[in-house]
Amino acid sequence: MSHATHSTHSHPSAVRMGLGIPNSKLCMWLFLGTEIMFFTAFIGSYIVLRMGSPGWPTDPHVTHINVRLGGLNTFVLIFSSYLVVVAHEAMSKRQFDRARRAILGTLLAGCVFLGIKAIEYYGKYSHDLLPGHVAETPDAAMRKAVRELREARRAWLDALEPGDEVEKVRLERARSAGSSADASSEHALFVKFDRAVEELAAQVKAERITLADVQRRVRELKEGEGIGEWLGGVHEPHPVLYGNLFTSCYFLMTGFHALHVVVGMLLWAIVLSAKSLEGWHEYVENSGLYWHFVDLVWIFLFPLIYIV
Amino acid sequence: MKADHTVEEHQAPYGFIFGLLCVFTAVSWLADELKGFGLLTNWYVIAVIVMAVAAAKAMCVMLYFMHLKFEQNWKYVLLAPTIILAVGIPLALLPDIGLHYYVVADRPAVAADVVGHGEHGHDGGADEHADGGEDNAAAGGVSERSGEQ
Repeated sequence: MSHATHSTHSHPSAVRMGLGIPNSKLCMWLFLGTEIMFFTAFIGSYIVLRMGSPGWPTDPHVTHINVRLGGLNTFVLIFSSYLVVVAHEAMSKRQFDRARRAILGTLLAGCVFLGIKAIEYYGKYSHDLLPGHVAETPDAAMRKAVRELREARRAWLDALEPGDEVEKVRLERARSAGSSADASSEHALFVKFDRAVEELAAQVKAERITLADVQRRVRELKEGEGIGEWLGGVHEPHPVLYGNLFTSCYFLMTGFHALHVVVGMLLWAIVLSAKSLEGWHEYVENSGLYWHFVDLVWIFLFPLIYIV
Repeated sequence: MKADHTVEEHQAPYGFIFGLLCVFTAVSWLADELKGFGLLTNWYVIAVIVMAVAAAKAMCVMLYFMHLKFEQNWKYVLLAPTIILAVGIPLALLPDIGLHYYVVADRPAVAADVVGHGEHGHDGGADEHADGGEDNAAAGGVSERSGEQ
């Protein structure tokens, strides 16, 4: 303490850290310390939830997890991390053009990563594997199928009988038009579909039908000529135990990771916008530490989510 | 942006580390492929392999790409507390969620619903959505929702 006081008095403008690293680098490491806790809270909770939930979905046909895409993304991030160290090394040697090329490559690798991630997310979305949307029991799966069929009917009705009247009025109008119309007309097809939906709904409500039968009926409707094209949003019902917990964990972890990738890309975009990289050495090093950390998180997310 | 500190540069074998990381990734992928072909069936063996590979990859990235191998001892002071705190949440959750000191079959979601469609246990989430979807039931001529209410 006395030494510090003495130093301050004798050299008031020369207070320096004793760690031998720049302030910015220390700040980045402190920030990464908080990030470690942030992600390990998610990952640790996921592991505990996963181990505590017997019957957790692991079949890729059920979870629609694509290991090859995940592995490809792992390679993309590792390659981008390699480019970052190349950029850092080039900055140290004042090879600014080489550094700029490596940083540009990192930015593009980030784009590829997010592109592949978007494909994976679309796969989940198209199968309605979203938090709160997954039916976890046969009963829930059957009722979800009825709900989706009714939503499809509503969309078809909007196209068939547009207007401001309430749905009930338009539905009655479509039904009466369909009953008297030619069997091949769209109104007749709509009525056929409407009857099938209501029959199925009544059977599900009365618990007089099995899941296998509902799956078969939905499949038949989706294959039906003139009807199937309206049923794009209807999924064959398959209950997935712990499906909501799984999708919550999946989107939470990969979503926050993707957000970190976006932030990292912004950091690189800032460097690339500079006319000269002279004086950007510390910035590149600190941004590189951040980018490596993002890579590090993915290194654990890949086996935990995609393989184990 | 200009560095006012003398940055000590260390030359690490970056190309070799990159190659090593690729090999490690291939090993993880291979473990999954072998599982798919039925050649590696023990879940614990697969978990140990892929997590060990992940730990090895993380060490490579931290030691060489993040230069922790060449940093001074401040790295321990800075990282040890965060890692200890990071372990805290899983440990806190473990007794109630991770360890089963109760009978699993007692939980409604895991009970007979999973085995067959005999019992109609409701477990929130998707069920509620299904109910919500019946809001046009009256329009459809089937007054399920009003009946339930």
